Amino acid sequence: MLTRIKGGRIIDPANGHDGIGDIWMRDDRIVEAPPAATADTTYDATGKIVMAGAIDIHSHIAGWSVNTARLLLPEFRLGSAARPGSTPLSNAGWAAFEIGCLYAAMGFTTVVEPAVSPHYALHAHLELADVPIIDKATLAVLGNDDFLLGLMRARESAAVVRDYVAWTLAATRSLGIKVINAGGAAAFKENVREFSFDDVVPSYGVSSREIVRTLQHAVNELGVPHPLHVHCNNLGIAGSADSALATIAAADGLPLHLAHLQFYGYGKEGGRGFSSAAARLAEAVNAAQSVTIDVGQVMFGQTVTVSLDVLRQFKARNQARPRKWVILDGDANGAGIVPYNYRSADFYNAVQWAVGMELFLLIDDPWRVFFTTDHPNGAPFTVYPEILALLMSRDLRAQWIAKLPAEAMTVTTLPSISREYSLVEIATMTRAAPARLLGLPDRGHLGAGAIADVAVYEDESDRARMFRSAALVFKHGELVVRDGTPTRHIFGRALMVEPERDRAIDRRLKAYYDERWGISHDLIKVPDHAIGRPEPFELVSCTQ
Amino acid sequence: MPHAWIDGTPAELATAVATAARLLDASRQPLIAGLGTDVAGARAATALAQRVGAAIDHMHGDALLRDLDVMREAGVMLTTPSEARVRADTLLLVGPGLIEAWSELPRDLLGARGGEASAGADRRTFWLCPPKSRLGNDNHAGSTYPISVIDREARDLPVLLAALRARVNSRPAARSLVPAAALDGLAEALKAARFGVAAWSAAELDGLTIEMLCGLVNDLNATTRFSGMPLAPGDNAIGVLQACGWMTGFPVRTGFGRGYPDHDPWRYRAARLVESGETDCVLWISAYRAAVPEWSSDPPTIALAPAGSKFAKSPRVHIAVGVPGRDHDGVEHHAMIGTLTAVAATHQSEAIPVADVIASIAAHLAGGPSSC
Repeated sequence: MLTRIKGGRIIDPANGHDGIGDIWMRDDRIVEAPPAATADTTYDATGKIVMAGAIDIHSHIAGWSVNTARLLLPEFRLGSAARPGSTPLSNAGWAAFEIGCLYAAMGFTTVVEPAVSPHYALHAHLELADVPIIDKATLAVLGNDDFLLGLMRARESAAVVRDYVAWTLAATRSLGIKVINAGGAAAFKENVREFSFDDVVPSYGVSSREIVRTLQHAVNELGVPHPLHVHCNNLGIAGSADSALATIAAADGLPLHLAHLQFYGYGKEGGRGFSSAAARLAEAVNAAQSVTIDVGQVMFGQTVTVSLDVLRQFKARNQARPRKWVILDGDANGAGIVPYNYRSADFYNAVQWAVGMELFLLIDDPWRVFFTTDHPNGAPFTVYPEILALLMSRDLRAQWIAKLPAEAMTVTTLPSISREYSLVEIATMTRAAPARLLGLPDRGHLGAGAIADVAVYEDESDRARMFRSAALVFKHGELVVRDGTPTRHIFGRALMVEPERDRAIDRRLKAYYDERWGISHDLIKVPDHAIGRPEPFELVSCTQ
Repeated sequence: MPHAWIDGTPAELATAVATAARLLDASRQPLIAGLGTDVAGARAATALAQRVGAAIDHMHGDALLRDLDVMREAGVMLTTPSEARVRADTLLLVGPGLIEAWSELPRDLLGARGGEASAGADRRTFWLCPPKSRLGNDNHAGSTYPISVIDREARDLPVLLAALRARVNSRPAARSLVPAAALDGLAEALKAARFGVAAWSAAELDGLTIEMLCGLVNDLNATTRFSGMPLAPGDNAIGVLQACGWMTGFPVRTGFGRGYPDHDPWRYRAARLVESGETDCVLWISAYRAAVPEWSSDPPTIALAPAGSKFAKSPRVHIAVGVPGRDHDGVEHHAMIGTLTAVAATHQSEAIPVADVIASIAAHLAGGPSSC
């Protein structure tokens, strides 16, 4: 099956290409233009923009916490069809099936669920298996688990830690490792209420810094393409910029990814002791070449915060709107689900919005700043088109700024920033760079050999409208979206890595689970047959 | 050994499946109830409900919804039995039905401390309104440690918990049913916990009592750490709830008659739908054991249940299904770690999984198989 997308403006920064041309697809791959061949199907993209399928590196779309948010908030979905536009989250994908459809309609073809506690991995994969069209991946969360902290307390070798990380990746079928408020959830179980980078988890005598460094080295030495994905300490509080700056400094020249940096972009200046520290953070990121970040942009409206940072969520529970919440003291990480309404008239929420924008605009290199709302924590992913439009137009930003509390705008540099993202920079940030960051050489670009994940957009001056509703989307060469409407519900796979390990760790973990938890360590493993779809996983290569 | 019966008479499986499909096609308000099945069965049942416009409920829907209502009205702090096992230095057991709800409670929780017991060697266990017969004379109930009991009737729990919560918050409690010293002693013990866990079973507590207990747990966190541990109802109720949640956005007691999922805990309660006569066809699913409906009327029923299930009246169609984890591999909620786990068949057999039977029925519906 040979398919041709004809005459569009091809924006393919991974291959340094921006110009009018054709894309050819043979079955599920992009191919060079075959000499003198006739396509079985030709799609006219004249006047349209052609990009690779977009990749979201950080969006909470599946797992126990996400599902508990659904069960906590049935009123967010009253009458699933024909809801009025003003219903909270009315345009947010909520059931697994809708998530895939809504992502695909915007031209996204790969999405990473970034917070899976190992014991909950099967649940997450079962939900992901019911998300249609897009490919998926999970990040497994370590750093509050007794086994790792026990290894560190006993000063065991880096090799044993590496083997354990490799076992976790294999058991949970994950693409990478994340650490969330390293040590904070474990410390909270011992009634610690404040936890910073150099604080120590009481029973283990190891600091948050040591946990991050240990996992960063293990991930790097295993050759896992995606660097350690870090959710820093002290999320969301005035002065949290110091936690992020300390973590950036600790990267020490090795790859490290900081998630949703916006939530750490707060200083203590101004009359209310709450200000944007985005300029300081951006400067540090610009200087630290081995560090990547994603933004976690806030947008105004009702949402629900879903996080394994149980200490933070516990402290935020009294700000829940509506007033209800779930806090879990889990087996390793905890979890917290706290609904929240970001209001444009609120000083603090307005500062948060500005901080996210500043980070996008003040970090110079679109290869190192990633496009997220930390869905649904900053905003549901369905608002991505509005954010892209804001990044591409200083006039649009000025209109928003004019409507926000003037006092909030005095503690941010945003009104003074004139930068506008180009389409090439947007394609870099949402396609080329995520593929490189996750180690997916056949995604995020349109060169020969790439998976035929392609999004075609109308070149409209209303960029939000353009990105909300792709004209055409191809997944693995199949047409799945036309004019923003999913036309075909195929099911993708979950991407995973499986680095080498010394199998001695398997025997050790078997004994550990028997002794500590009274259950078989086999229960943590995610077998193919449990997923209920053919070939549910796709192996991604490690570099060593 | 037959796999299928029509009106009590052995029948070919294919005939039974086709008959079931005809009944569902002809039904104006089908109901899928029982739902004692693995996650694959729950997924298939939910997809079928969407297809035929059925309502879905679980046989433990009352207990499920009581815990869920407290969560979605007020908020809860939760932990897992496994975390309670390794960490709890204080256990607060509430109500006489805990061992009935979780028969392994004495062995896996009361009698066990996994790992290094970082919370300290001594665990203090308190039981409000314990069962009359099961504790034994020495108040141990399989526990490694003695259990302090407040020996009242279960109906006293609302007042006891309210009084205890008041004392934990240093407020007066005019009516407490037990001597003030006993109540204050318990309040002080709970506040002295380093990591306490309160366990209950929604099968025997009403919603307001559960809310009071969850409020007590929340209040204790003002100064120390305390968490709640609702015991899971059986028959994979939590696994079914989770699958229903991610597929529809809602828990069970959701109907699809309007063409989209519509959650209403009163309207879509299975017993009400049956006894009011609103449903004219029931698909009853009980794969784990021979549980049968306890309704006062008998609408036409398709039963996916073990051979030998004793129905009050023969179902129109009865198809024998396998037990997940015995006859076939499956995924179900694990009581100890509190999440979904894969279970391998212990005695792989020909018995058909619920999901496969439902797929066959769906393929015979008017319109043929669906893509989902």
